[in-house]
Amino acid sequence: MPEQISIFELIANASLLVQVVMAVLVLASVASWMMIFQRWLFLRRALIELDSFEDHFWSGIDLRKFFSELDGEDGLNGIENVFVAGFREFTRLSEQSGADADAIMQGVQRAMRVAVTREEARLETHLPFLATVGSTSPYVGLFGTVWGIMNSFRSLANMSQATLASVAPGISEALVATAMGLFAAIPAVIGYNRFSAKVEVLTKRYEAFSDELTTILHRAAHSRSGGG
Amino acid sequence: MYVLRHYTLPLALAVGLHAAAVWALYQGWHPEREIADFIKPETVIANLIVLEAKKAEPKPPPPRVQPQPQPVEESRPQPDPAQEQRVREAQEEAERRAAEEAAEQARREQERLDRLARLAELAEASLDQAIAEESQTLQEGSEAQVAQSYRMGIYQQILENWSRPPSARNGMKATLVMELIPTGEVVSVTVTESSGSTAFDRSAEQAVRRAGRFAVPEENRIFERYFRRVYLLFQPEDLLR
Repeated sequence: MPEQISIFELIANASLLVQVVMAVLVLASVASWMMIFQRWLFLRRALIELDSFEDHFWSGIDLRKFFSELDGEDGLNGIENVFVAGFREFTRLSEQSGADADAIMQGVQRAMRVAVTREEARLETHLPFLATVGSTSPYVGLFGTVWGIMNSFRSLANMSQATLASVAPGISEALVATAMGLFAAIPAVIGYNRFSAKVEVLTKRYEAFSDELTTILHRAAHSRSGGG
Repeated sequence: MYVLRHYTLPLALAVGLHAAAVWALYQGWHPEREIADFIKPETVIANLIVLEAKKAEPKPPPPRVQPQPQPVEESRPQPDPAQEQRVREAQEEAERRAAEEAAEQARREQERLDRLARLAELAEASLDQAIAEESQTLQEGSEAQVAQSYRMGIYQQILENWSRPPSARNGMKATLVMELIPTGEVVSVTVTESSGSTAFDRSAEQAVRRAGRFAVPEENRIFERYFRRVYLLFQPEDLLR
C-alpha cells in the first residue's frame, strides 16, 4: 500500500486479453478523434464554400458564363457539383432539337437529385464509423472489465485468506478497460450527433438550391419553347 | 494523395490529444500520497493544552515596566543650574526627554523581545516535558501489561498448589505477603491479615511454599517494581456452603 500504484503499472500487469482490449480501445479512440477532426474541418469548409457560392450565384452574373468557368475544372466542391450537373443536363437537352420543356426539366431535376445524393454521401463519410465506436466501445471495455474481474475472483478462490489487498489491484486494472471504453465512446457519440445534424443542414440547403435552380431553368426552358 | 492531404492534420491532432491525456494521467495519478502526510503523533494534541496554560503567566510583566519611567523623569531637573537662557534650557530638556523616551522605548522593546524569547523557551521546555511524560506513561502502560501477564502465571501456580481445608467458608479472607528474589524463588511468606481460621491461613501459606518458585520478568526494573514484594489475597468464593 505505501508505494502508489501507477495506472501504467496496472495496465502492464493486466492479463493479455485485457491488454488486447485496451489496445483496441486506444486505437478506436485515436481513429475516432481523427475522424472527428477531419469531419469538423471538412464540414466547416463545406459550409463556408456554400455561403460564398450562394453569394456569388445570386449576385446577378450570367449563368452560362459561370457554368463555362466551372465546367471541366477539377476538384469542384459540393454545391458547385450540383450546379454543374443540373446546368450541363439543361444545355445538353436543350441542344437536342425535339425535346420539349417538360422533358428537359425532368432530366435536369433527375441530374440534380443524383448530384445532391452523391454530395450527401460525401458529407456523411466516416459518420457510421463514429456511430460504431460510440455504441460498441463501452461494451468492448465492459468485456475487458468482466474478464479481468472474473480472473481476479478466480485467483481469490484459491486463497484461504481473502483480503481486500488481494482483490483490489485486479479489479482496479479491470476497471481501466471500462474507463477507456467510455473515453473512446463519449466523444464519438457527441461527434456523431453533431456532424449528422450539420450534414442534414447542408443537404437541406443543397436541395433548396437545386429547387431554386430548377425554377430558373424552368422559366428559361418554357420561354425558349414558347418563343421557338 | 487525397488521404495524405486531408488526414495528416486530423491524425496529428488526435495523437496529440491522446498524448496529452496520457501525460495528464501520469502527472495526476497519486491518490495515496496526501493521506499519508496527515498522520501525526498524538503528542501534538497534548502539548496544545500545556501551551494554553503557560500563556496566562506573561501577563504580570507589563505593570512592572510601567513604574520605571518615574525615576527617570525625576532626574531631569538636576543637571540645569544655569539660569540665563531658559529657552535653550527648555530646548535641551525637550531633546533630552526625546532621547530618554527613545531609550525607554528601545528598552521596552528589548524587554518585550526577552519576554517573547522566555515564553518560547518555556513553551519548548513544557513541550519536551509533555513528550517525556507521555512516553513515560506509554512505557509504564506496557510494563504494567507485562507485569499483569506474569501475575496471572503466579496466580495459576498458587491455585494449583492450594488445597483448601474442609473448614473453609465463603467470605473468608487471608492476606499474605511473599518476598521474591530476582530468580523467582520465594524467600519469605507471612500472613498479614488472618482469615480467622488458622487452618485456612496455613493452607494458603503452604500453597505458596509448595509452589516454591515463580516465573518473574527478567527485566530488573519491572521485577523491583512489581514482584519484589507480592501481596496475595486468598478468598474461597466458589464454595457451595
